[in-house]
Amino acid sequence: MDFPSIIQSIQASAPAEWMRTSVKAMPFVESLHVLAAATLFGTVFIVDLRLLGFPDTRRSFSVISREMLRLTWAAFFVALVAGALMFAANAHTYVGNTAFRLKMLALVAAGVNMTIFQGVTARTVSAWDRDVRPPLAARVAGALSVLLWICVIFFARWIGFTKGYDFSIPQDTHINFQF
Amino acid sequence: MHAFAGWLQETPFSHTIQDVSWIIPLLQSIHIVMIGVVFVSSLMIALRVLGRMRVDEPFPAVWQRFAPWMWTGLCVMAVTGLTLVAGEPIREFTALSFWIKMALVALGVTSTALYGRSLRNLAVAGVPAQFPATAKLASVLIVVLWLAIIFLGRAIAYDREVWGTLSLHA
Repeated sequence: MDFPSIIQSIQASAPAEWMRTSVKAMPFVESLHVLAAATLFGTVFIVDLRLLGFPDTRRSFSVISREMLRLTWAAFFVALVAGALMFAANAHTYVGNTAFRLKMLALVAAGVNMTIFQGVTARTVSAWDRDVRPPLAARVAGALSVLLWICVIFFARWIGFTKGYDFSIPQDTHINFQF
Repeated sequence: MHAFAGWLQETPFSHTIQDVSWIIPLLQSIHIVMIGVVFVSSLMIALRVLGRMRVDEPFPAVWQRFAPWMWTGLCVMAVTGLTLVAGEPIREFTALSFWIKMALVALGVTSTALYGRSLRNLAVAGVPAQFPATAKLASVLIVVLWLAIIFLGRAIAYDREVWGTLSLHA
């Protein structure tokens, strides 16, 4: 099965159809995605700040990291499922969308950064766990993580503005302000 | 209100926000990043009260770690949010979600301030090993309130889909 036909079958799937036809599906799934993404960023940010040696210096890195781990992964999983549903609804448009591609690139880069940090720098954690200022490699990983996740959020929000949506209300619409 | 929205939309400031294509997505992105900071800070404080996070740290220390980020984030969101309203007043003012969100934001900010003050007093007075049930309930309610606010924020773009006949767009 080649790439275009995979995209085609994703877009033709039942969940994708539900996302397109149910009136409430898109706003609810999208809100869930934003909520999960915000939680993901917020928890990752706490760990990254500790790597940068900013607040929380009385608490060891590994304790903070362990505390956030489950929340981060739970948020990631929810964001992934909600995101996959949104993607499926318009798979064709998404794969060709520059903002979406950049978002995926930033997402992969954040994953690579995390993997390198866990595989290399975190192996020596016992040597710097309680340091106010962790080693340079750890600080770089923390800074990159914050930057890349911010990029993910920025590119993600950009997608909505490049797909040709128009939020403005047509001139002749009667707007009723009475509750 | 409609007249006000129309006037605001015609001001030079609003025109700039509308005409420069990257301003609105940029402001919305900053707004979302700040949601992450504020919501998780609030969640951490709530989890501490519930005894699920940082129980080895005294409550005032946990409050001191997260409250400044929460308040700073809220201030940034007020700036990005108000600028977004100035840029798209009709879109915001004609969304029922927007008005409910604003009411809940006022409630969220007030209750967080009061809750923080009374919890710190409680912690200073007796350093309770366990917070009372009312404090735990308040923590859960505040987190639920932020969840509702986040949801309503995104729902502004889908007023008719979410509210049906209640929508002000109808």
